Amino acid sequence: MIVEYSYYPGCSLQGSSSEYDHSIRAVCRALDIGMTELDGWTCCGASSAHALDESLSILLAAHNIDLADKVGKDILVGCAACFSRLKFAEKAMRDEPRRWAESKTAPSVGIVHIHDLLCEDRIMDKIKKLAVKPLKGLNVIPYYGCLTARPPKVVDAPNPENPQALDEIVKALGANLTPWSRKTDCCGGSFAISKTEIVRKLSGDLFEAAKHAGGDCIVTDCPMCQANLDSRQKEIAEERGIPLDMPVFFITELIALAFGIDNTQKWLAKHLVDPRPLLAQKDAI
Amino acid sequence: MNDAMGKNDKPVGAVAVVGAGIGGMQASLDLANAGFKVYLIEKASAIGGRMAQLDKTFPTNDCAMCIISPKLVEVGRHPNIELLTHTEVVGRHGSVGHFTLDLQTRAKYVDPAVCTGCGDCAQVCPVELPNEFDQGLSTRKAISKRFPQAIPNAFSIDKRGTAPCKVACPAHVSAQGYVALTAKGKFAEALMLIKKDNPLPAVCGRVCHHPCETNCTRARVDSPVAVKDIKRFLADLEPTLDIKPPEPENDFGEKVAIVGSGPGGLTAAYYLALKGYKPVIFEAAEKAGGMLRTGIPDYRLPPEVLDAEIEFIKSAGVVLKTDSPIGKDVTLEKLRAEGFKAFFLGTGAHADRGLGLPGEELGGVLSGVEFLRDCNLKKPVTIGKNVVVIGGGNVAMDAARTSLRMGSDVTVLYRRSREQMPALPEEVQEAEDESIKFEFLAAPVEILGDGKMRRLRCQRMELGEPDASGRRRPVPVDDFFEVECDTLIAAIGQFPDLEFLPEETREKLAARGKVVTDPVTFATAVPGVFSGGDAVLGPSTVIEAIAQGKEAAESIHRYLRGEDLRKGRELAETAIVPEEKIEQAERIRQKHREAADRVKDFGEVALGFDENDIIAEAERCLSCGICSECYLCVETCKAGAIIHTDQPGQRSIQAGAVILAPGFETFDPEMRGEFGYGRYPNVVTSLEFERILSASGPTQGHVQRPSDAKEPRRIAWIQCVGSRDASCGNDYCSSVCCMYAAKEAVIAAEHLGEVDTTVYYMELRAFGKGFDDYINRAKASGVKFVRSMASRVDEDPITHDLMIRHMDESGEALTETYDMVVLSVGLCISDQVRAMAQNLGVELTGHGFAKTDSLEPLRTSVPGIYVAGAFAGPKDIPETVAEASAAAAGASGELSASRGALVADKQKPPEINVKGEPVRVGVFVCHCGINIGSVIDVPAVMEYAKTLPGVEHAEQYLYTCSQDSQEKIKELIKKNNLNRIVVASCSPRTHEPLFQQTLSEAGLNPFLFDMANIRDQCSWVNRGDHDRATAKARDLVRMAVGNVTLCEPLSEIAVPVNPKCLVIGGGLAGMTAALELSRQGFESVLVERTDKLGGNLRHIRRTTDGRDVGRYMNTLIEQVRSDPKITALTNALIVDFTGYVGNYETEIMVGAITSRKIKHGALILATGGGELSTDEYLYGQDDRVITQSAFERLLADEPDKAAKVKSVAMIQCVGSRDENRSYCSRVCCNQALKNALRLKEMDPKARVVILYRDIRSYGLNELYYQQARKAGVIFVRYDPDVAKPEVTGGDRLGVEAFDPVLQKKIRIHPDLLVLSTATIPEENEELGSQLKLARNDDGFFIEAHQKLRPVDFSSDGLFLAGLAHGPKSIPETISQARAAVARAATILAFKEKRLNGVVSEVDPDKCAVCLTCVRACPYDVPYIKDGAAVIDPAMCHGCGICVSECPGKAITLAHFTDEQIVAKCRNLLERNAV
Repeated sequence: MIVEYSYYPGCSLQGSSSEYDHSIRAVCRALDIGMTELDGWTCCGASSAHALDESLSILLAAHNIDLADKVGKDILVGCAACFSRLKFAEKAMRDEPRRWAESKTAPSVGIVHIHDLLCEDRIMDKIKKLAVKPLKGLNVIPYYGCLTARPPKVVDAPNPENPQALDEIVKALGANLTPWSRKTDCCGGSFAISKTEIVRKLSGDLFEAAKHAGGDCIVTDCPMCQANLDSRQKEIAEERGIPLDMPVFFITELIALAFGIDNTQKWLAKHLVDPRPLLAQKDAI
Repeated sequence: MNDAMGKNDKPVGAVAVVGAGIGGMQASLDLANAGFKVYLIEKASAIGGRMAQLDKTFPTNDCAMCIISPKLVEVGRHPNIELLTHTEVVGRHGSVGHFTLDLQTRAKYVDPAVCTGCGDCAQVCPVELPNEFDQGLSTRKAISKRFPQAIPNAFSIDKRGTAPCKVACPAHVSAQGYVALTAKGKFAEALMLIKKDNPLPAVCGRVCHHPCETNCTRARVDSPVAVKDIKRFLADLEPTLDIKPPEPENDFGEKVAIVGSGPGGLTAAYYLALKGYKPVIFEAAEKAGGMLRTGIPDYRLPPEVLDAEIEFIKSAGVVLKTDSPIGKDVTLEKLRAEGFKAFFLGTGAHADRGLGLPGEELGGVLSGVEFLRDCNLKKPVTIGKNVVVIGGGNVAMDAARTSLRMGSDVTVLYRRSREQMPALPEEVQEAEDESIKFEFLAAPVEILGDGKMRRLRCQRMELGEPDASGRRRPVPVDDFFEVECDTLIAAIGQFPDLEFLPEETREKLAARGKVVTDPVTFATAVPGVFSGGDAVLGPSTVIEAIAQGKEAAESIHRYLRGEDLRKGRELAETAIVPEEKIEQAERIRQKHREAADRVKDFGEVALGFDENDIIAEAERCLSCGICSECYLCVETCKAGAIIHTDQPGQRSIQAGAVILAPGFETFDPEMRGEFGYGRYPNVVTSLEFERILSASGPTQGHVQRPSDAKEPRRIAWIQCVGSRDASCGNDYCSSVCCMYAAKEAVIAAEHLGEVDTTVYYMELRAFGKGFDDYINRAKASGVKFVRSMASRVDEDPITHDLMIRHMDESGEALTETYDMVVLSVGLCISDQVRAMAQNLGVELTGHGFAKTDSLEPLRTSVPGIYVAGAFAGPKDIPETVAEASAAAAGASGELSASRGALVADKQKPPEINVKGEPVRVGVFVCHCGINIGSVIDVPAVMEYAKTLPGVEHAEQYLYTCSQDSQEKIKELIKKNNLNRIVVASCSPRTHEPLFQQTLSEAGLNPFLFDMANIRDQCSWVNRGDHDRATAKARDLVRMAVGNVTLCEPLSEIAVPVNPKCLVIGGGLAGMTAALELSRQGFESVLVERTDKLGGNLRHIRRTTDGRDVGRYMNTLIEQVRSDPKITALTNALIVDFTGYVGNYETEIMVGAITSRKIKHGALILATGGGELSTDEYLYGQDDRVITQSAFERLLADEPDKAAKVKSVAMIQCVGSRDENRSYCSRVCCNQALKNALRLKEMDPKARVVILYRDIRSYGLNELYYQQARKAGVIFVRYDPDVAKPEVTGGDRLGVEAFDPVLQKKIRIHPDLLVLSTATIPEENEELGSQLKLARNDDGFFIEAHQKLRPVDFSSDGLFLAGLAHGPKSIPETISQARAAVARAATILAFKEKRLNGVVSEVDPDKCAVCLTCVRACPYDVPYIKDGAAVIDPAMCHGCGICVSECPGKAITLAHFTDEQIVAKCRNLLERNAV
């Protein structure tokens, strides 16, 4: 193992986005990144707690940091919403450890988003080496959404208006990075179920921009973004009268594809917009 | 800082001015013209600062370069200004009067005294960099001048240490240099650059282990530049390039013996030959080349390549003797006896280490070196079917691949791992590709066989602890295996074979089997014997041997010349790598023959590059050292100005005072990532857009989009990028952006015609004189102003069009599409300036501005150190210029006792009387390097000049302006009694003063001179047509000769100067001026119309930063009253005014009866202004409606009454910015904020509502705006075009206004309504006409130039300060008053004023008194007296307008007489007549 983490999958990765969880685990295994699922982890409170009760929203996430603190390994997170909540809690615990931390001291561990880890120089070098099936000809739109970039002072985003992590990985995998300027626009976020018209408007704008830019698929690292974008295409297509059939990948799925990891196709089958025809067309599967 | 200086020591009469932008230049000129020595310190290579980068200036739309460049020239040639460019201040000692500043000067690598600025060097320089002057929108060369008009007019080279490739190369070949030359297609130059340090490029291009590539910065990004392959490409071109070794530098003739013809010996011989010696190489073998010949197989280094390289070396004069072993028979002593004076032993390492294995007696064991030697020399060699090669070096690879090519199966056995192989990775890769088998971590232990070798028994190894070489040592493990083997080649290392030397010599020279030398000089213990290469190092590399051969040649030269062998040779080299972001670009690989094909023969494996590929590959170079040290500039510079060994310098200067004017840097817009700067090509900064607009900019003023060079049709400006923004730490207003954005929009429309321009702003701050008029004109011309802060810019990734997202006032989100977006970036203080301030001990604010006080606006925390311009807060040009003059006054006030102490006063020789002498013209024609000479036939022009009437002598110079040419011209003037001079060269704008100075020094009147501009106006514009350009040059010379023949000597007019100054107006500006004059040592008369001093100060209680104005005013009055140098007259009126600069006379009525006449040399007008009275908003009808200053008095003087005020409304812009007064009164917003905050301070619950149009809290005042919002002051905007506030009286005062944010009317009932009424000038019409000074429509006096002469009137000797000029704050008034004093001091400081001889003269007999000249003169000089016009030569500016207008031809302008003009024309037409 070149490095060891406590892994916090979060609820989405247990259910709707299990392919994200599986691909994270597979890619980390291939990259020799050690991760042990945090024993006894609980929901971070994302999507509702912070709108209801500030102390609840901190404490739910803080509990998980307390767990990791005892293990002494930084928390690796895939879900952007969990990442955001954990970062909020981490800041709060550092600012007022007596109030928020079980140990009454600032946590010894940090919160690491998977895309930041993958972009570390040594890991990036390894990704380049292991990418034996480069994704040549695939025009990939990088999409970050809101939560890993904002608010920059909480999530410590170095370049919140123009994040680079997915861009760098996409390039390393040999795909065509397709630039656009909406990489941090909102997809509709947690209105996924409650206010779908907002999701259709915001995600629809994203799809139009992505198509215009020449992308043939979107890659993200947020389960909520992936769900919104993957699930609403039919409705958007009908509403706007445009053809829409654009696969939305998790970044780790693309890495796994380039690494030639066996299970990739199984995960891809879970997507609502089936990416396999596109991948077949590009000789990627 | 406590110095032991006595108090009576006279201060140093010099001032150090830091920063040579417009502020620093103005301060320097004012000081230098007032009798002080100035050190002008500038970190850039040229003066001019930011203003030089601007296109136009608001509000007059003057071209910035046009108005600044005369100042550049004036600073550049001022005898009292010492210009120190490339220089920064790093330390300060001492205190006011006696500062010592430590300066650090960067190396320029060009001698500015020798450089003529011709630019030939930049033409040949291969290295291109982003041009900082163009904000990176164009490129410049590594040798460059900041901009074409740069002063000093000299080039300099940018270096960033030595490139890592050059440092890594043992021979220090300028790799970056030849790569750069290759990228430019200069192949011959590139090859000769290599040969300067390495005579074997074809060899090294094939077999070098290329440490240059290993250390290439690109290796860290993608892959190193293919330096080795580029070298091979160049060397392979040699037969087509017609190059020869350079001629020997000398002819010393001494013979030097070189033993061995390997790379070391060949190199030593080559460089010795070039130095002028006679080297003879003695080679034992039948062919030359040493290990290159015998050790390297043909498929890597074809023998004919080596032969050609040896031939080239021989052609330099090297004698080569093969089959000539040295040692036993022919000893060194014998050679010495034959006349050889020195020796180089380059005998290499040709002996092999043996294996010592059991079973070697079976035969079949070969030495690697011997095997290769025999193969390479085509001797018969037999090997078996199964060859095993032992070893992991290049010899092992060569032996293996050679065996393979002889038809064997080959296995390489190496005891360490693959990563540890000393062989080059590409060699190993090629061997593998050729299907050679490798056994790593394996060592042979026994040869097995049956009378013949059959198999090899091997043992497995594993890696243990690191050994002395740092590599992990192989440790045997208990694991054996056998391989088929009938031939075993041992390639486990070589060593020098020194057996050839007699034993006693060997004992002296060698130890442990190697020759021992000094590591720097390569001298052995035996005098005159030097050595290098493998003989010294053991088996090493080709380039090491070359390096040592070259160094040994230098040592032999020094030895034979009796010089110190070591001196200056242990140079530490530093390599710094570029910091900027590096774009990835994969290396282009040269082609190789297919493995299956190439193993069949010994033909070369690597196939080299073609030309396109090699240029593309060379262009990948990152120019780590910036300058590539290709030395083409050295060859090209005819003046010999280039010094590549220049070093940075330290220096200390003594100065009595210091002025800091380091200027600003623009905000880095990448910090506001949402606008996409740096990502979207068509988002540019305002300064970039200035360059795009500029005629001298990257697109010659053609406005185009960076992405596709298309003309934009829609351009938007986003204001406040990095201003008024706490998120990036810049919460102040940058003061200038609103205006420059409006100007850029107006000018863009002028350039483009049809274009939509939109400015997105938060508040339009057009607070300066004439600014609102400018905005109104901009609006009328179609510029749209949208009050909305843009939130984000998106880009269409296909078209690169830009979408601005913003919200209108009703809160609706909108998106607009543009072709280009300009970010109006704010002004900040750079880290370097902060560091400099720290070095000087000057305190800064949190934003990095110098800390000052509103009543001492330019004094820093260190007495004697003053500040001017943006370093004291963001501001525009006129305020900077005024502050610069004021800082000059501040600094010189400290030093007035030493005025004139350090000023240069050059003694001129007595002038030769040329009256009545026959005309004897000297003509000097300039080649200007190749600038003129390459287009015009200069010798022909010179010969032609000799034939012209009156020409006595003609001469040509490479650079007529160089110092030695000046001396020659002076000699020729004396020798040939020349009395008229013509120089045919460049522009009189830059060079006329230089040549006129030369004339003066030779005793000739400087007006007996003319220039023919055969460069800018001839060779530069007629490059393609040599014949016609030469003909035109002849015409121009003929015209100049015709003109100069008629030139008459002119003498400067000296007028005495009365050192007294008259100051009109006893308010803040007038009193400040009088006191400053006194401090400078000048007497003054202060004239006040009313019975009291104090003026408008009487109505002000506090400054915005809380200083007590009343107390300050009383102090000023007391100081004025008690100052013996000031005569203050109250109740005094000007009744008459006559005279000219230096000698004015003014009649003053004091009281009702007394009249006094005052003689004075200069005048400062400070008649002031005050608050407008109004009849709007019930003012005068309702006591609850008062003016802002009445409110201020209430707050200060009647606190009890003020405490009862619970609610206040303020209405801004009462009487300002309306149909009667279009201007902004500038001070009212800040005054309103000040008073609102004061009330809130007294009673935080008091309610304050400010009804405003734009809050113009410009500059650092923005912080008070912020403070007021935090304190709960409510700001409600009103738009007078929609509805003005309505005020109703009665029991409750009512104020009603439409709130555009709420989109409805609001109504409030304040206790008090405070009106911010306009600032208007005092009644001054009569005074204006008495002094003949113009006023604008609003009654404010008009300065000489709105940008660059803000406190001067256009009449010499008259100056302006305070509200009489326009509305302004207390600190601004104080600065202006002091500025006026500094300007006046340039006149008052001297006993007499010298006036230019080029003035108009009226012939009274011809004058018809038509008044045309009186009306035409822009300076109001001519007047009528005794029936004719009179032009006072002391006042005339020599512009010549009256001459051209005079219908009676009664006026002539000296030096530009009609006769002269006619003569020029006649001479021009003569060619056609002939």
